[in-house]
Amino acid sequence: MKQIKLYINNKEYDFLVKGHEMLSTVIREKAGLTGTKLGCEQGSCGACTVLVDGSPLLSCIAPAIRYDGARITTIEGIAVNGELHDLQKKFVEKGSIQCGYCTPGMVMSILGYLNKNPNPSSNEIKEAISGNLCRCTGYKKIIEAISEYVSEKNGNALPDKKKKAESDSEFSVVGKPRSYIEAKKKVKGEAEYADDIRIKNALHCKFLRSTYPHARIVNINTAKAKELPGVKAVITGKDIPISFGVLPISENETAMAVEKTRYIGEIVAAVAAVTEEIASKACGLIEVEYLELKPFFEIEDSLKDTGENEKIHHQTKLNNNIHKTAELRFGDQEEGIKNSELSCKLDFKFQGLNHAFTEPHAATAYWDENGLTIITATQVPHYLHKYLAKVLEVPMNRIRVIKPYVGGGFGGKSDPFPHEMIVAHLSRLTGQPVRVRLNREEVFLTNHGRHPTKMTMQLGMGSSGELKTLDADILIDGGAYGSFGVVTTYYNGVLLQAPYNINNFGFRTRRVYTNKPQSGAMRGHGAVNSRFAVETLIDELARKADIDPCELRLKNFLDSNTLTVGQFRITSNGSAESLKAVMERSGWKEKFGKLKEGHGIGVGCGFFISGSALRIHWNEYPQSVVHLKIDMDGRVVISSGASDIGQGSDTMLAIIVAEVLGISVDNIFVLAADTLLTPIDLGSYSSRVTFMAGNAAKMAAEEMKSKILTAVASEFKVVEDELNITNNKVFSNDKSVEISWEDAIRIATKKNGALQSGGHYNSPKLGGDFKGAGAGLSPSYSFGALVAEVKVDVETGAVKVLNMWGAHDCGRALNPLAVEGQLEGSWHMGLGQAMSEEMRYHEGLLLNGNLLGYKIPTSLDTPEFDTTIIESIDPEGPFGAKECGEGALHPSIPAIANAIYDATGVRITSLPIKPEDILNGLKLLKKKKKNFSGVK
Amino acid sequence: MNTEEKLFLKPKTLKEALEFTASNRDGFKYIAGGTDLLVNKYQGNIDTGCLVDLTGIDELKQFSVKDNLIYIPALTKLSELKDNIYIKENFPALIKAADSVASPLVRNTATLGGNLLCENRCLYYNQSEWWREAVGYCLKCNGDICIVTGTGKACYSEFVSDTAPVLISMNAKIEVADISGTNILNLEDIYTGDGVNPVNLSKTSIIKSIVLPMDKGYRTIFKKLRQRESLDYTSLSIAVTTDNSGNVVICMSGVDPKPVVVSGNNHIDYEAMCKEAIKNSRSVDNDMLSRKYRKEMIKIYLQQCYDELFG
Repeated sequence: MKQIKLYINNKEYDFLVKGHEMLSTVIREKAGLTGTKLGCEQGSCGACTVLVDGSPLLSCIAPAIRYDGARITTIEGIAVNGELHDLQKKFVEKGSIQCGYCTPGMVMSILGYLNKNPNPSSNEIKEAISGNLCRCTGYKKIIEAISEYVSEKNGNALPDKKKKAESDSEFSVVGKPRSYIEAKKKVKGEAEYADDIRIKNALHCKFLRSTYPHARIVNINTAKAKELPGVKAVITGKDIPISFGVLPISENETAMAVEKTRYIGEIVAAVAAVTEEIASKACGLIEVEYLELKPFFEIEDSLKDTGENEKIHHQTKLNNNIHKTAELRFGDQEEGIKNSELSCKLDFKFQGLNHAFTEPHAATAYWDENGLTIITATQVPHYLHKYLAKVLEVPMNRIRVIKPYVGGGFGGKSDPFPHEMIVAHLSRLTGQPVRVRLNREEVFLTNHGRHPTKMTMQLGMGSSGELKTLDADILIDGGAYGSFGVVTTYYNGVLLQAPYNINNFGFRTRRVYTNKPQSGAMRGHGAVNSRFAVETLIDELARKADIDPCELRLKNFLDSNTLTVGQFRITSNGSAESLKAVMERSGWKEKFGKLKEGHGIGVGCGFFISGSALRIHWNEYPQSVVHLKIDMDGRVVISSGASDIGQGSDTMLAIIVAEVLGISVDNIFVLAADTLLTPIDLGSYSSRVTFMAGNAAKMAAEEMKSKILTAVASEFKVVEDELNITNNKVFSNDKSVEISWEDAIRIATKKNGALQSGGHYNSPKLGGDFKGAGAGLSPSYSFGALVAEVKVDVETGAVKVLNMWGAHDCGRALNPLAVEGQLEGSWHMGLGQAMSEEMRYHEGLLLNGNLLGYKIPTSLDTPEFDTTIIESIDPEGPFGAKECGEGALHPSIPAIANAIYDATGVRITSLPIKPEDILNGLKLLKKKKKNFSGVK
Repeated sequence: MNTEEKLFLKPKTLKEALEFTASNRDGFKYIAGGTDLLVNKYQGNIDTGCLVDLTGIDELKQFSVKDNLIYIPALTKLSELKDNIYIKENFPALIKAADSVASPLVRNTATLGGNLLCENRCLYYNQSEWWREAVGYCLKCNGDICIVTGTGKACYSEFVSDTAPVLISMNAKIEVADISGTNILNLEDIYTGDGVNPVNLSKTSIIKSIVLPMDKGYRTIFKKLRQRESLDYTSLSIAVTTDNSGNVVICMSGVDPKPVVVSGNNHIDYEAMCKEAIKNSRSVDNDMLSRKYRKEMIKIYLQQCYDELFG
């Protein structure tokens, strides 16, 4: 230990630090400045960036002692007396902040850079932030904020490109671009994420993870670990053996491996100790005796009869590892393809993906007179609540789940997790709070990401270019457990029945278990890979038939207000508008077929559910409930279980309630995602929150409005219908009543006190009555299109994505700034899957479980996004809104691949796209050409 | 794991550093920027109880020009090279190579000396302690088999410095200080080609500066293959240099446990040199990009370098 002095944000600190302690630890744990984030602890994400003497430093790989005497600035030191720095203001104003976890590091990086180069070009800005990974924004709005700040600082204000006339809008709040209500807190580094919240006297939890993919646990000896001073508890699978899983039909996971391990990385034992170091050391002292079983790594292995070998799960029906088969057929596909004028059949292969949200999982659990409280980074407080009750055998009324600010989810925090069960149990055992923070490798092992997939798909077309028959045979690799897998199995197929009108349609999907970290739901759930296949086949058919691929799509879109072949009810539908918009924005007609070799343009379309109409757990409780409370002070408290994970749902609720009540968003407080205080919402998954919680909020606000108007009407003896509220004023049409919001609330509360109202949402009954008809049903669907332009180096196969023009029908943009952010983030994630992201394994062991090997595109790899919002005004969405957070991803990947085809003639059927594959494709083409000319 | 009190020493002079390390031969590791070392330490690949920080030593920061030789101090941060007018004018490829290392944040701390001594990398080695236990420890972490090749013969961890190829292609020398004094070595000569122990400098010695001649008229083309335009280590870095006598040197990293160097007297020999370079690179499938592709790219990149230099 050594005493050092640090001047952090102009305050002098004396710290006793360990020899090899990192500066990030000192800043977070000793100075309590948790605005400095940890995302990877290996210098590859930039979240921990601080300034030392004005220069940016990765504090997670900086030994604290080296900086003895140094002047350090953290994000908390940037705002002065609470006043945001001009750059921070730009981040807020431009919507550069979504989950906010990368924001502090991003701000510090660029501020440090600007100290050296105060007037950088746009490329220099991109370069300067290229060591800071953002998973939410696609960097566009970050770069915009920085560019504007720089221009204004240097006296060249940029013309505001996007200022629209706002006066003619029928709404006063809806449709106005607005930064998130918590954006300032996030940009100042004050928003507390799960690992930032310190509960007094908390123990630290660490895990021992299996080093075998498939092995019986013969014996676990925890004696030595228990003896280590500082260790408070050591537990194994047998201590909490009750199984769970987000879907009731596949609750086959336990908090720790009970009898056997099913993947390398599965938790086998857990330790609670007074420090992280002791907990880690104790894990090393646990001895586990394994008996190896034959592992199954590949889909093909898991399809086969296992013979004498033990299956991964004994519950699978046959003697193989097939978890679920889903098959639906409308018409005879074999016949259909045979009778097609033109048809095409291709095989596709997709690697698994991880959500790679910037905030690693973290949780703290404690028990008191109210039972268990757990503060955890989750998208689904309600499901966690349920399964904690089940696993811990405690009634739900003794459990409180609190979701703090969450640093991104994308589906990766939408299951109940082992670490949450474990800290809850350890806290009960030790009588002390227990906290856990997963490192990045553990995040990758926890996974639940996109399924590795193989599929064969064929598409048949009629003589005048009508798409007629689609048949898909799909295999998905579920890894070791169920997760959302049964839904994924269906979604891969059923979500192919739009946006095109294809009446002869069938699919079979089989999900298998393998001895790898489990797959689950990830942004665009279930349909991203199969969408890629369809959009590729359409491109192929268009080429064969010599039809413009955009025109071919336009010809085949479903109408609005129609049913699909599998009886999905399509209401609002902005497919054609979306496609036409991107054609125009990209200059499609001028470019398609006219670009030089190596330069290409491509298109893709897509659609997605706006919330699943069917609930996961069957009961009659509404899918979302929102409560409002207004007391004498006039402030509206929205209470909702919906989980804002950075997508902006808290702000969305405030916008809806403000619009209905005719007041300003500033007068609204959102209390969200605390199962003790807020009514149940099923969670942030399947793009359901705007539609469902939004409708519930609207209903609650309408009831509230009526209560207020009734009271005012009675006070002034006027007819209620004559009254209205806008701009914080309640008035009658004849102006005989004109009072402030506050006065109206005083009137409305004077007899019975605080006003309350409630709203709820339930999806209407939808769909057919055949088996499997429920999968993919949604009260509404979103639609979109994207055009990508690429350059391919035909010598190296390297692809540079130059531009992406996207359009997405979100019904109505309640908050256009947030909608753009969701779209751009989706396209960025699509770019990653297309170009560089994959989970690669060596015999079940993940080879790239870190942010260096798992390649999220940096700011330098990300092209300009051109963003168009299409508003089809959904008849049932709140103010016409529907989803925008997932569907936009779908068209992006095939658009890039189709652009590569346009550039090179190489058809991409495997993701991520490897330069090597392009070169091989080019060689094959050359050979074919040669043979062809030879014949001639 | 070493549980004893860990030390972090920050000597102020070379002498102080060398005297300490001479008497504690095994129990220490030098640290400069630390951007490579600390990640290896985090992953448990380095388990030293004592770090000797060189960043406080002024003698390692002295830039000088003498007799047409430029002495670039080893502690020069990668981000600072471009601020040096001599380097900018005479060796722009060095700046290009340095600017291709990792990310701007890393380059703000990482040093030129450190980049030359950057630990060799392998997908099967740069992993956590737990991971390496699960895979069965490889040759580079005291195991008896290379996971990639399945044999115990040799470790093929890649040499990944981006600046070394440029420097070696310009016949760079290094000033190395040890307790016995300062020696001048050919940079190329410190690399062993053994993936386990890739550098033959004695454990106590310290690179003081990198020495380049300014009167040779070097012209260098540098190219780097990686999946992303930032953050990534190299999968193939190539420098080709020619001087005013027409000599040509090819040097590559990312495809062998050491820099692969091929020299010729005239660019007419270039095709043969390329063949030799490809033949000499012992790359294996231990990178996110395949061995086959990287091998193929050597040829393409070398041709591109040639075209830019002589075309």
